[in-house]
Amino acid sequence: MGAPDAAHATLDEQALVEACLANQPGAFDVIVERHRRSIYLLCYRFVGNHEDASDLSQDVFLRAYRGLRKFRGQASLGTWLYRIGVNVCLNRVSTRAPAVESIEERQFVDERAEAPSEAILRAERSARVRAAIAQLPRKQRATLILRTYHEMSHQEIADVLGSSVGAVKANFFHALGSLKRILGGEDA
Amino acid sequence: MHLTPDQLVDLADGVKPESSAPHLADCAVCRAQLNGLRATMSQVADVEVPEPSPLFWDHLSRRVSDAVAREDAGIARLKGSRSLIGTLFGGARAFQASVLLVAALIIVVFVTSRTKTPDSSKARAVAAARDVWSDGIVADADTDDSLTIVASLTAGIGLEAAGEAGLALDGSAEHAVTHMSDGELRELQRLLREEMARPGA
Repeated sequence: MGAPDAAHATLDEQALVEACLANQPGAFDVIVERHRRSIYLLCYRFVGNHEDASDLSQDVFLRAYRGLRKFRGQASLGTWLYRIGVNVCLNRVSTRAPAVESIEERQFVDERAEAPSEAILRAERSARVRAAIAQLPRKQRATLILRTYHEMSHQEIADVLGSSVGAVKANFFHALGSLKRILGGEDA
Repeated sequence: MHLTPDQLVDLADGVKPESSAPHLADCAVCRAQLNGLRATMSQVADVEVPEPSPLFWDHLSRRVSDAVAREDAGIARLKGSRSLIGTLFGGARAFQASVLLVAALIIVVFVTSRTKTPDSSKARAVAAARDVWSDGIVADADTDDSLTIVASLTAGIGLEAAGEAGLALDGSAEHAVTHMSDGELRELQRLLREEMARPGA
Protein backbone atom coordinates (compact mmCIF):
# COMPACT_ATOMS: atom_id res chain seq x y z
CA MET A 1 0.00 0.00 0.00
CA GLY A 2 1.39 3.37 -0.89
CA ALA A 3 0.19 6.73 0.32
CA PRO A 4 -3.61 6.90 0.27
CA ASP A 5 -4.80 8.60 -2.88
CA ALA A 6 -5.66 12.27 -2.88
CA ALA A 7 -9.20 11.70 -4.15
CA HIS A 8 -10.19 9.94 -0.93
CA ALA A 9 -7.99 11.88 1.46
CA THR A 10 -10.40 14.81 1.63
CA LEU A 11 -13.58 12.78 2.08
CA ASP A 12 -15.50 12.84 5.36
CA GLU A 13 -16.11 9.62 7.31
CA GLN A 14 -19.48 8.73 5.84
CA ALA A 15 -18.29 9.33 2.29
CA LEU A 16 -15.21 7.21 2.97
CA VAL A 17 -17.32 4.36 4.26
CA GLU A 18 -19.54 4.57 1.19
CA ALA A 19 -16.46 4.59 -1.05
CA CYS A 20 -15.22 1.43 0.70
CA LEU A 21 -18.58 -0.25 0.27
CA ALA A 22 -18.45 0.67 -3.41
CA ASN A 23 -15.13 -1.20 -3.59
CA GLN A 24 -13.16 1.91 -4.48
CA PRO A 25 -9.47 1.06 -4.13
CA GLY A 26 -7.62 3.19 -1.61
CA ALA A 27 -10.66 4.28 0.40
CA PHE A 28 -10.04 1.91 3.27
CA ASP A 29 -6.37 2.88 3.30
CA VAL A 30 -7.42 6.41 4.20
CA ILE A 31 -9.48 5.13 7.13
CA VAL A 32 -6.49 3.12 8.34
CA GLU A 33 -4.17 6.07 8.03
CA ARG A 34 -6.49 8.35 9.99
CA HIS A 35 -7.05 5.95 12.86
CA ARG A 36 -3.98 3.71 13.00
CA ARG A 37 -2.22 5.71 15.69
CA SER A 38 -5.15 5.86 18.11
CA ILE A 39 -5.94 2.18 17.57
CA TYR A 40 -2.32 1.16 18.08
CA LEU A 41 -2.12 3.21 21.30
CA LEU A 42 -5.35 1.65 22.55
CA CYS A 43 -4.01 -1.84 21.86
CA TYR A 44 -0.66 -1.03 23.47
CA ARG A 45 -2.41 0.18 26.62
CA PHE A 46 -4.13 -3.18 26.88
CA VAL A 47 -1.26 -5.53 26.13
CA GLY A 48 1.79 -3.47 27.07
CA ASN A 49 4.08 -4.59 24.27
CA HIS A 50 4.72 -3.54 20.68
CA GLU A 51 4.43 -6.92 18.95
CA ASP A 52 1.00 -7.78 20.31
CA ALA A 53 -0.18 -4.20 19.85
CA SER A 54 0.78 -4.37 16.14
CA ASP A 55 -0.99 -7.71 15.64
CA LEU A 56 -4.08 -6.51 17.46
CA SER A 57 -4.18 -3.26 15.48
CA GLN A 58 -4.15 -5.22 12.25
CA ASP A 59 -6.89 -7.46 13.59
CA VAL A 60 -9.01 -4.44 14.55
CA PHE A 61 -8.82 -2.96 11.05
CA LEU A 62 -9.49 -6.29 9.39
CA ARG A 63 -12.59 -6.78 11.50
CA ALA A 64 -13.66 -3.24 10.75
CA TYR A 65 -13.27 -3.94 7.03
CA ARG A 66 -15.37 -7.07 7.31
CA GLY A 67 -18.06 -5.29 9.30
CA LEU A 68 -18.14 -2.00 7.43
CA ARG A 69 -21.63 -2.70 6.13
CA LYS A 70 -22.84 -2.73 9.73
CA PHE A 71 -21.53 0.75 10.39
CA ARG A 72 -24.61 2.95 10.50
CA GLY A 73 -22.96 6.25 11.32
CA GLN A 74 -24.81 6.65 14.63
CA ALA A 75 -21.48 6.94 16.42
CA SER A 76 -18.34 8.37 14.87
CA LEU A 77 -16.10 6.04 12.91
CA GLY A 78 -13.47 6.53 15.62
CA THR A 79 -15.84 5.41 18.38
CA TRP A 80 -16.92 2.44 16.28
CA LEU A 81 -13.30 1.45 15.73
CA TYR A 82 -12.63 1.87 19.46
CA ARG A 83 -15.50 -0.47 20.19
CA ILE A 84 -14.01 -3.10 17.89
CA GLY A 85 -10.58 -2.44 19.39
CA VAL A 86 -11.77 -2.87 22.97
CA ASN A 87 -13.52 -6.12 22.09
CA VAL A 88 -10.48 -7.47 20.27
CA CYS A 89 -8.21 -6.49 23.17
CA LEU A 90 -10.53 -7.86 25.85
CA ASN A 91 -10.73 -11.16 23.99
CA ARG A 92 -6.96 -11.29 23.77
CA VAL A 93 -6.29 -10.45 27.40
CA SER A 94 -8.86 -12.98 28.55
CA THR A 95 -7.07 -15.77 26.70
CA ARG A 96 -3.50 -14.69 27.35
CA ALA A 97 -1.73 -12.99 30.20
CA PRO A 98 -0.30 -9.76 28.81
CA ALA A 99 3.46 -9.80 28.28
CA VAL A 100 4.34 -6.33 29.45
CA GLU A 101 7.38 -5.01 27.59
CA SER A 102 10.54 -4.48 29.58
CA ILE A 103 12.40 -1.20 29.39
CA GLU A 104 15.09 -2.80 27.22
CA GLU A 105 12.51 -3.90 24.66
CA ARG A 106 11.08 -0.47 24.13
CA GLN A 107 11.08 0.50 20.49
CA PHE A 108 12.07 4.09 20.57
CA VAL A 109 12.64 6.29 23.59
CA ASP A 110 12.81 9.99 23.00
CA GLU A 111 15.38 11.09 25.57
CA ARG A 112 16.27 14.41 23.99
CA ALA A 113 14.37 16.47 26.51
CA GLU A 114 15.67 14.87 29.71
CA ALA A 115 18.72 13.29 31.30
CA PRO A 116 19.13 9.55 30.64
CA SER A 117 18.82 8.71 34.34
CA GLU A 118 15.53 10.60 34.57
CA ALA A 119 14.27 8.83 31.46
CA ILE A 120 15.13 5.43 32.96
CA LEU A 121 13.40 6.24 36.25
CA ARG A 122 10.32 7.40 34.40
CA ALA A 123 10.36 4.27 32.26
CA GLU A 124 10.57 2.11 35.38
CA ARG A 125 7.65 3.90 36.98
CA SER A 126 5.66 3.47 33.78
CA ALA A 127 6.47 -0.23 33.62
CA ARG A 128 5.26 -0.70 37.20
CA VAL A 129 1.99 1.09 36.53
CA ARG A 130 1.44 -0.84 33.29
CA ALA A 131 2.05 -4.11 35.12
CA ALA A 132 -0.44 -3.04 37.80
CA ILE A 133 -3.04 -2.12 35.17
CA ALA A 134 -2.52 -5.54 33.57
CA GLN A 135 -3.69 -7.14 36.83
CA LEU A 136 -7.08 -5.39 36.76
CA PRO A 137 -10.24 -7.26 35.77
CA ARG A 138 -11.12 -6.75 32.08
CA LYS A 139 -13.94 -4.22 32.39
CA GLN A 140 -12.06 -2.18 34.99
CA ARG A 141 -9.00 -2.13 32.79
CA ALA A 142 -10.97 -1.09 29.71
CA THR A 143 -12.72 1.67 31.64
CA LEU A 144 -9.49 3.01 33.10
CA ILE A 145 -7.70 2.99 29.74
CA LEU A 146 -10.51 4.68 27.83
CA ARG A 147 -11.06 7.31 30.51
CA THR A 148 -7.46 8.11 31.37
CA TYR A 149 -5.62 7.78 28.06
CA HIS A 150 -8.31 8.37 25.48
CA GLU A 151 -10.22 10.98 27.43
CA MET A 152 -13.58 9.48 26.65
CA SER A 153 -16.58 10.62 28.67
CA HIS A 154 -18.40 8.19 30.95
CA GLN A 155 -21.23 8.04 28.42
CA GLU A 156 -18.86 7.28 25.52
CA ILE A 157 -17.19 4.52 27.53
CA ALA A 158 -20.61 3.10 28.37
CA ASP A 159 -21.41 3.08 24.64
CA VAL A 160 -18.16 1.35 23.76
CA LEU A 161 -18.45 -1.26 26.50
CA GLY A 162 -22.18 -1.72 26.14
CA SER A 163 -22.83 -0.90 29.78
CA SER A 164 -24.43 1.89 31.83
CA VAL A 165 -22.83 5.13 32.98
CA GLY A 166 -23.28 3.95 36.58
CA ALA A 167 -21.36 0.75 35.83
CA VAL A 168 -18.59 2.76 34.15
CA LYS A 169 -18.20 4.99 37.21
CA ALA A 170 -18.22 2.00 39.55
CA ASN A 171 -15.58 0.23 37.43
CA PHE A 172 -13.43 3.35 37.35
CA PHE A 173 -13.70 3.78 41.12
CA HIS A 174 -12.75 0.16 41.81
CA ALA A 175 -9.95 0.24 39.22
CA LEU A 176 -8.34 3.24 40.93
CA GLY A 177 -8.77 1.62 44.35
CA SER A 178 -7.14 -1.61 43.16
CA LEU A 179 -4.26 0.25 41.52
CA LYS A 180 -3.65 2.24 44.68
CA ARG A 181 -3.48 -1.00 46.65
CA ILE A 182 -1.17 -2.74 44.15
CA LEU A 183 1.21 0.20 43.72
CA GLY A 184 1.12 1.04 47.43
CA GLY A 185 1.91 -2.58 48.27
CA GLU A 186 4.94 -2.47 45.98
CA ASP A 187 6.22 0.71 47.55
CA ALA A 188 5.93 -0.74 51.05
CA MET B 1 -23.65 10.40 55.09
CA HIS B 2 -20.45 9.79 53.07
CA LEU B 3 -20.13 10.41 49.36
CA THR B 4 -20.91 7.49 47.06
CA PRO B 5 -18.33 6.07 44.60
CA ASP B 6 -20.39 7.65 41.83
CA GLN B 7 -20.11 11.12 43.42
CA LEU B 8 -16.41 10.67 44.21
CA VAL B 9 -15.65 9.71 40.60
CA ASP B 10 -17.54 12.73 39.29
CA LEU B 11 -15.53 14.99 41.61
CA ALA B 12 -12.17 13.33 40.86
CA ASP B 13 -12.88 13.41 37.14
CA GLY B 14 -13.90 17.06 37.25
CA VAL B 15 -17.37 16.26 35.95
CA LYS B 16 -18.74 18.13 38.98
CA PRO B 17 -17.11 20.92 41.01
CA GLU B 18 -16.25 20.43 44.67
CA SER B 19 -18.77 23.11 45.52
CA SER B 20 -21.49 20.64 44.55
CA ALA B 21 -20.47 18.47 47.54
CA PRO B 22 -20.45 20.60 50.73
CA HIS B 23 -20.01 17.38 52.70
CA LEU B 24 -16.34 17.38 51.66
CA ALA B 25 -15.59 20.42 53.78
CA ASP B 26 -16.60 18.58 56.98
CA CYS B 27 -15.59 14.98 56.24
CA ALA B 28 -11.93 14.02 56.43
CA VAL B 29 -12.69 10.46 55.27
CA CYS B 30 -14.29 11.56 52.00
CA ARG B 31 -11.62 14.23 51.49
CA ALA B 32 -8.87 11.62 51.92
CA GLN B 33 -10.65 9.23 49.56
CA LEU B 34 -11.01 11.94 46.91
CA ASN B 35 -7.35 12.91 47.25
CA GLY B 36 -6.35 9.25 46.94
CA LEU B 37 -8.36 8.87 43.74
CA ARG B 38 -6.78 11.98 42.26
CA ALA B 39 -3.26 10.88 43.18
CA THR B 40 -3.74 7.48 41.56
CA MET B 41 -5.26 9.07 38.46
CA SER B 42 -2.26 11.34 38.16
CA GLN B 43 0.15 8.41 38.62
CA VAL B 44 -1.64 6.44 35.91
CA ALA B 45 -1.88 9.38 33.54
CA ASP B 46 1.89 9.85 33.61
CA VAL B 47 2.45 6.54 31.86
CA GLU B 48 3.34 7.05 28.23
CA VAL B 49 3.30 4.60 25.39
CA PRO B 50 6.78 4.25 23.91
CA GLU B 51 6.80 5.85 20.51
CA PRO B 52 7.31 3.25 17.79
CA SER B 53 9.76 3.82 14.98
CA PRO B 54 8.52 6.48 12.50
CA LEU B 55 8.61 3.78 9.83
CA PHE B 56 6.18 1.64 11.80
CA TRP B 57 3.01 3.46 10.73
CA ASP B 58 3.46 2.78 7.03
CA HIS B 59 4.44 -0.77 7.87
CA LEU B 60 1.20 -1.19 9.83
CA SER B 61 -0.81 0.24 6.94
CA ARG B 62 0.85 -2.19 4.54
CA ARG B 63 0.10 -5.12 6.83
CA VAL B 64 -3.56 -4.13 7.03
CA SER B 65 -3.71 -3.60 3.27
CA ASP B 66 -2.20 -7.03 2.61
CA ALA B 67 -4.59 -8.68 5.04
CA VAL B 68 -7.55 -6.94 3.39
CA ALA B 69 -6.31 -8.02 -0.06
CA ARG B 70 -6.06 -11.64 1.13
CA GLU B 71 -9.56 -11.36 2.55
CA ASP B 72 -10.91 -10.00 -0.76
CA ALA B 73 -9.14 -12.74 -2.72
CA GLY B 74 -10.67 -15.38 -0.43
CA ILE B 75 -14.15 -13.93 -0.90
CA ALA B 76 -13.64 -13.79 -4.68
CA ARG B 77 -12.62 -17.48 -4.70
CA LEU B 78 -15.67 -18.38 -2.62
CA LYS B 79 -17.96 -16.48 -4.98
CA GLY B 80 -16.31 -18.21 -7.94
CA SER B 81 -16.97 -21.63 -6.42
CA ARG B 82 -20.57 -20.75 -5.72
CA SER B 83 -21.16 -19.51 -9.23
CA LEU B 84 -19.59 -22.69 -10.64
CA ILE B 85 -21.90 -24.82 -8.53
CA GLY B 86 -24.77 -22.57 -9.55
CA THR B 87 -23.91 -23.05 -13.21
CA LEU B 88 -23.67 -26.79 -12.80
CA PHE B 89 -27.02 -26.96 -11.12
CA GLY B 90 -28.66 -24.38 -13.43
CA GLY B 91 -29.09 -21.24 -11.38
CA ALA B 92 -29.60 -20.28 -7.78
CA ARG B 93 -33.14 -21.60 -7.44
CA ALA B 94 -32.23 -24.93 -8.98
CA PHE B 95 -29.16 -25.04 -6.72
CA GLN B 96 -31.31 -24.50 -3.63
CA ALA B 97 -33.72 -27.16 -4.82
CA SER B 98 -30.89 -29.64 -5.40
CA VAL B 99 -29.50 -28.94 -1.92
CA LEU B 100 -32.95 -29.63 -0.47
CA LEU B 101 -33.21 -32.82 -2.52
CA VAL B 102 -29.84 -34.10 -1.27
CA ALA B 103 -30.82 -33.26 2.31
CA ALA B 104 -34.12 -35.12 1.89
CA LEU B 105 -32.32 -38.19 0.51
CA ILE B 106 -29.93 -38.20 3.45
CA ILE B 107 -32.85 -38.04 5.88
CA VAL B 108 -34.69 -40.90 4.11
CA VAL B 109 -31.58 -43.11 4.12
CA PHE B 110 -30.97 -42.30 7.77
CA VAL B 111 -34.54 -43.05 8.84
CA THR B 112 -34.61 -46.28 6.80
CA SER B 113 -31.40 -47.53 8.38
CA ARG B 114 -32.74 -46.68 11.83
CA THR B 115 -35.94 -48.71 11.29
CA LYS B 116 -33.87 -51.86 10.72
CA THR B 117 -33.31 -52.50 14.38
CA PRO B 118 -30.23 -54.35 15.53
CA ASP B 119 -32.56 -56.85 17.23
CA SER B 120 -34.10 -58.04 13.95
CA SER B 121 -30.73 -58.48 12.24
CA LYS B 122 -29.46 -60.31 15.31
CA ALA B 123 -32.51 -62.56 15.27
CA ARG B 124 -31.89 -63.34 11.60
CA ALA B 125 -28.24 -64.17 12.34
CA VAL B 126 -29.27 -66.47 15.21
CA ALA B 127 -31.87 -68.17 13.03
CA ALA B 128 -29.33 -68.67 10.27
CA ALA B 129 -26.86 -70.16 12.74
CA ARG B 130 -29.60 -72.44 14.08
CA ASP B 131 -30.33 -73.63 10.52
CA VAL B 132 -26.69 -74.46 10.01
CA TRP B 133 -26.61 -76.32 13.32
CA SER B 134 -29.83 -78.25 12.70
CA ASP B 135 -28.53 -79.43 9.33
CA GLY B 136 -25.83 -81.25 11.25
CA ILE B 137 -23.07 -79.42 9.41
CA VAL B 138 -21.20 -78.54 12.60
CA ALA B 139 -22.22 -81.61 14.56
CA ASP B 140 -18.60 -82.73 14.70
CA ALA B 141 -17.85 -79.83 16.94
CA ASP B 142 -19.17 -81.89 19.86
CA THR B 143 -16.32 -84.31 19.41
CA ASP B 144 -13.60 -81.67 19.17
CA ASP B 145 -12.14 -81.08 22.70
CA SER B 146 -10.70 -77.67 21.95
CA LEU B 147 -14.01 -76.41 20.57
CA THR B 148 -15.78 -77.85 23.60
CA ILE B 149 -13.57 -75.82 25.94
CA VAL B 150 -14.16 -72.67 23.90
CA ALA B 151 -17.88 -73.38 23.82
CA SER B 152 -18.05 -73.84 27.60
CA LEU B 153 -16.11 -70.63 28.21
CA THR B 154 -18.24 -68.57 25.87
CA ALA B 155 -21.60 -70.19 26.59
CA GLY B 156 -23.06 -67.09 28.21
CA ILE B 157 -21.71 -64.60 25.69
CA GLY B 158 -23.91 -63.46 22.81
CA LEU B 159 -22.67 -61.70 19.70
CA GLU B 160 -23.78 -58.35 21.06
CA ALA B 161 -21.95 -58.87 24.35
CA ALA B 162 -18.85 -59.95 22.45
CA GLY B 163 -19.07 -56.79 20.38
CA GLU B 164 -19.45 -54.65 23.48
CA ALA B 165 -16.49 -56.40 25.06
CA GLY B 166 -14.40 -55.40 22.08
CA LEU B 167 -14.15 -58.95 20.76
CA ALA B 168 -15.96 -58.08 17.56
CA LEU B 169 -14.06 -55.07 16.30
CA ASP B 170 -14.97 -53.10 13.19
CA GLY B 171 -13.61 -55.04 10.26
CA SER B 172 -13.72 -58.39 12.09
CA ALA B 173 -15.72 -61.37 10.81
CA GLU B 174 -18.09 -61.16 13.80
CA HIS B 175 -18.76 -57.54 13.16
CA ALA B 176 -19.35 -58.24 9.48
CA VAL B 177 -21.86 -61.01 10.26
CA THR B 178 -23.87 -58.95 12.72
CA HIS B 179 -24.12 -56.11 10.20
CA MET B 180 -25.19 -58.14 7.12
CA SER B 181 -28.27 -57.62 5.01
CA ASP B 182 -30.75 -60.47 4.41
CA GLY B 183 -29.25 -61.28 1.01
CA GLU B 184 -25.74 -61.31 2.40
CA LEU B 185 -26.75 -63.62 5.23
CA ARG B 186 -28.40 -66.06 2.79
CA GLU B 187 -25.27 -66.03 0.64
CA LEU B 188 -23.05 -66.66 3.66
CA GLN B 189 -25.28 -69.54 4.73
CA ARG B 190 -25.05 -71.06 1.24
CA LEU B 191 -21.26 -70.73 1.15
CA LEU B 192 -20.91 -72.30 4.60
CA ARG B 193 -23.06 -75.27 3.55
CA GLU B 194 -21.00 -75.77 0.39
CA GLU B 195 -17.74 -75.52 2.28
CA MET B 196 -18.78 -77.92 5.05
CA ALA B 197 -20.23 -80.40 2.56
CA ARG B 198 -16.86 -80.82 0.82
CA PRO B 199 -15.15 -84.14 1.57
CA GLY B 200 -12.58 -83.77 4.38
CA ALA B 201 -14.03 -80.54 5.68
